[in-house]
Parts: sequence; structure tokens; C-alpha cells
Amino acid sequence: MTPLLKTLGLSFSFPGRIVLEHVSFEAREGEFIALMGCNGAGKSTLMDLIVRLREPSHGQVLLRGKPLSEWRSDQLSHEVSHLPQSVRTDLPYTVEQLVLMGRYPHRTSWFDSPEDVGAAKIAMQRTSCWQDRRRRFFTLSGGERQRVLLAACLAQQARLLLWDEPSVFLDIDQQLSCFRLLQEEAADGKLCIAVTHDINLALTYCSRLLVISNHKLVVDIATGEAPQQPGWLGFLSPRLELGTGPNGNPWVWYQ
Amino acid sequence: MSGDDQAAAKRKVLLCVLAFGSAAIVLPWIGPGALSWSRVLHQQSPDAFIFVQLRLTRTLLALFAGGALSLGGTLFQAVLRDSLATPYTLGVSTGASFGAVVVICLGWQTIWGIPATWVGALAGAFLVLVVVMSAAARNRRISTFGLLLTGIAVNSVCSSFILLFYSLAGVTRSFSISRWLIGSVDATSYSSLGIFVLVVTATAYFVIAQASGWNLLSVDEQWAASRGVDVQSLVVKGYVSGSVLTAAAIALTGPIGFVGLIVPHIVRARITSDHRILMPCAFLLGGTLLALCDAVGRVVLAPAEVPAGVTLALLGGPYLVWLVRERI
Repeated sequence: MTPLLKTLGLSFSFPGRIVLEHVSFEAREGEFIALMGCNGAGKSTLMDLIVRLREPSHGQVLLRGKPLSEWRSDQLSHEVSHLPQSVRTDLPYTVEQLVLMGRYPHRTSWFDSPEDVGAAKIAMQRTSCWQDRRRRFFTLSGGERQRVLLAACLAQQARLLLWDEPSVFLDIDQQLSCFRLLQEEAADGKLCIAVTHDINLALTYCSRLLVISNHKLVVDIATGEAPQQPGWLGFLSPRLELGTGPNGNPWVWYQ
Repeated sequence: MSGDDQAAAKRKVLLCVLAFGSAAIVLPWIGPGALSWSRVLHQQSPDAFIFVQLRLTRTLLALFAGGALSLGGTLFQAVLRDSLATPYTLGVSTGASFGAVVVICLGWQTIWGIPATWVGALAGAFLVLVVVMSAAARNRRISTFGLLLTGIAVNSVCSSFILLFYSLAGVTRSFSISRWLIGSVDATSYSSLGIFVLVVTATAYFVIAQASGWNLLSVDEQWAASRGVDVQSLVVKGYVSGSVLTAAAIALTGPIGFVGLIVPHIVRARITSDHRILMPCAFLLGGTLLALCDAVGRVVLAPAEVPAGVTLALLGGPYLVWLVRERI
């Protein structure tokens, strides 16, 4: 079966600066992948290339076996939902209006259909921002804003979820909920890829780990094999140690 | 929006339609010297002439020019993601003013039977449109930041030229220039009014039809792009149609850009930020407000007239400050 997503020797550079070199991997429905690496490693750029916000310098992305450049943008937005690292914080829209914007690819009439309203409601409930639906975005705290953006991406109901640091600004409980939510989406047949710096969240919820270092994809392992090959930790920081948590699960400690 | 919200939104738009319609019916009756109903209805001069040829055209012009400028402001605020953007910001209105000033300095009255200031204003606006678009485009991509920056640069260049021409012109012509630059609504012929209303209505329809796109674009370009909006084409459509609205209005009224700042902000604060409602409301209320200001200007200092642009700024400025303070 063709994988949902496949990248072939993907490279990207700005004039005079290489950002990504020969990144190749494939991913299927049902996977929940953590994309990790140090600041400036190229994680967000890789996401941008997959969602076609940037054109690769070399290589290509295949979505359902079809080159990304051949997709019409309205069809693409049915397949891929992208959570940006941030949007303006002073938006005058209400929470509900922003979440409903995620339904743009599905719109059939001038106003939102009952399906749109229903999907937005479920998305807001799953990210615990339903009670804030009438509030304007600029009155929210950082974590509350982040949950609204998550809801807008969920409401889009795409097959491939590309979320750039979804747990940023969230409190501990919400971070856990956010990763559990992505795990549920993956179990539901979606492909989820999340950028994160929290290795323990990744080890707990994700099925596969990708690490980018020095512009290249250097690690691509299933989470279950991670404890046997602890070398990948070195790409993130020299101060990390892999041990076991109270339940015998893999757990990373730092000194 | 859920069903209830949609019904509420439709009611609000309907109220704005009512305001616009009643302004068209009521405001022509307001002015120095009362008009008699029966004389107007029986087509007796001078009342009927004043009503049909002067007051009605003037009110209709104010309604549609105010609507065009207000919608133009809303559009530029969405495309540039800058709540301070007005029809002035991208240099289109200054370009139009510059064109009109050149024509006044040359002493032309009419070109092909059309008032020369209209031709000058439209030519100036078109020139600025081409200059700004080509300067902001690189590798066939147009960045909104590039539009903003070149627009502001072109704006100052045109303003400087206006000042230069103003200081070089003789006394009578510099009076005509300053009179034009204040911005006012005057009676106009029905043929030119017809063309103007047609252009504004068609452009406004085209703009409002893409309201969902403006919603997404006003959040973030990437946000819009990853939800299936063709950002490049939408930005170009927005800039061109915003320029058409602005240039068409300014050619007939002179620069009254403030209506494009104040009305969208009032609607956002009091009604909604959703462009599907915001845009029709801004158009209708912008027209109503300008026509109202023009009617007020006709009577407060009668027989002298206060230009609509002056009344609008005097009334609207303090209100905007109050609105902003209330929100902080």
C-alpha cells in the first residue's frame, strides 16, 4: 500500500545557508511521530515543506503517492492540517470564529453548515476551550490561545496532522491531554507528526521518533526500540540519560 | 456560527440596509431652506429641481462613496493585517489626489466631456497601483510587507509633489487645490453617478463574495495557505479591488479616507469581526455616515457649507478615541 506521506531526498536552503539536506522517510496512517532536534535544526522548515508553505530546493514530497506540487490547494487542505508555531495574538475574532475558520476547506455555503458547527464544537470540547467560545482571541492567555489553535486544526478533519510544538504554553495537564488527543487521532487512522522538545512526552505517547541534527535526519526509530539504542539522545543534549520510570517505562533524566 | 447566531447576524445586516435606505430617503430633504413635499411631488421648480438634481445626487454620491471608502479600508486592513490601514495607506488615494492636483494646475476643466479632476484622479491612482505592485513583486510573488512599505514610500513622494505643485500654483488655483484636498460631496450628473454606482456595486460584490478568504488572510498568510486559500491571487485581488473602490470614490469626492478607518473599527467593536458580516455592514454604515455628515455640514453653518470630510473628522475622531479607550 502506498504510504500516506513520503519524502524523497528533501533539501532546502536559503541563499548561503543550508537548512535541510536529503531528508527521506515515509509514514503511514496510524503513526504518531515525534519530530525532535535542537533549535534551528530545521524541524519547522521540514513541516513547511510537507504542507507546501515552502518549495524544496531538491527532492520532493509524495502525498498518497502523488507529488505535492500536483495537488490543488483546496484538495491539499482536506488532507493536511498544519499548526503554525504562532499567530498574531491581537486578533479581534472570537474563539468560535477562529475554530470555524478551520472548516474553510469543507465550506459549502456562505454561512457555516450544521456539520461545520458540530465539528467545531467537538474540537473545542476536546481541547477544553468550549467554555471560552464567546471570548475574543486577544483576551486569552498564551495557553488558552494555543488550545484554540489546536481546536481549529482538529476541526479541519484532515488525514495528516502536522503540529509544530502543539504543547507550547500549555500547563502540564493540558500537555498530557494534547498528546493523548494526538494519540487518539492516530488510533483513529490519522497520521500525526508533532514537533516537541519534551522527550518524555514523546516516549510516552509517540510510536516513532525522528531526530534532525546538522540539517540531516539522523535518527528514525520506533519508540519501543529507543531504550535499546540510547545513542540518539546525544543529538539532543550531552546531559541526558535514559533510565526507567516507576512503571518500568523508558524515562529520560537530565543532570 | 450556529443557527441562532446566523439569524442574529442577518438581522444586523438588515438593520444596516434599513439605515442606508432611510438615509437615501430622508437626507435629501435636509438642507438650508425647507423643501415643500407637494411642490417636489408635483415637479414644481425650484423645489423639484433642487431635490432631484442637487440633493438626491449628492446624497446618493455620499452613500456610495462612503460605502466604497469604508469597504476599501476594511479590505486593506485584512490584506495587510494592520488595523491602522486605510485607503490612504497604500498610496492609492494620494496618487489620485496628485493626479487631480496636476489637472487643476494645468487649468483643464473637462477631458472628453468628463470633469478633468476625475480623469486626473483615476490616472494617478492607476499609476500608483502599477508602481506599487511591480515594486512589491519579486519572482512573481507579492509580499504584503513589500506592498505596505512601497505604498508608504509612494505615499510620501506623492504628498511632496502635491505640496510642490501647491506652492508653485497661483492664488486661485491653489485655492481650488486646497478645496479639492479637503474632500467634499457635491451634486453630480446622473450619468456619471450611474457609472460610479455600477462600478462600486460590482467591485463591492466581488470583494464581499470572498469574505471567508479575508477572514483567513487577516489571521496569517500561512494560516490561510494551509487551509486551502490561494494567498497570492487573493492578495492581488484585494489590492486591485481596494484600489478601484478608493480611486472611484476619491475621483468624485476628494480624499475622505477617515471613513475607511473609523467605520470598520466601530463595526468590529460593536457588531463582529467576521468579514461575512463586517464587510456588508461597513459598506452600508460607511455610506450612511458620510451622507449624514454631508447633511449635517449643509445645515450647521448655513448658508456656508462644511465639507463632509471636515464634519466626519470632527465627529468621528473623538468617537474613535473614546471607543479605543473603552476597549483598553
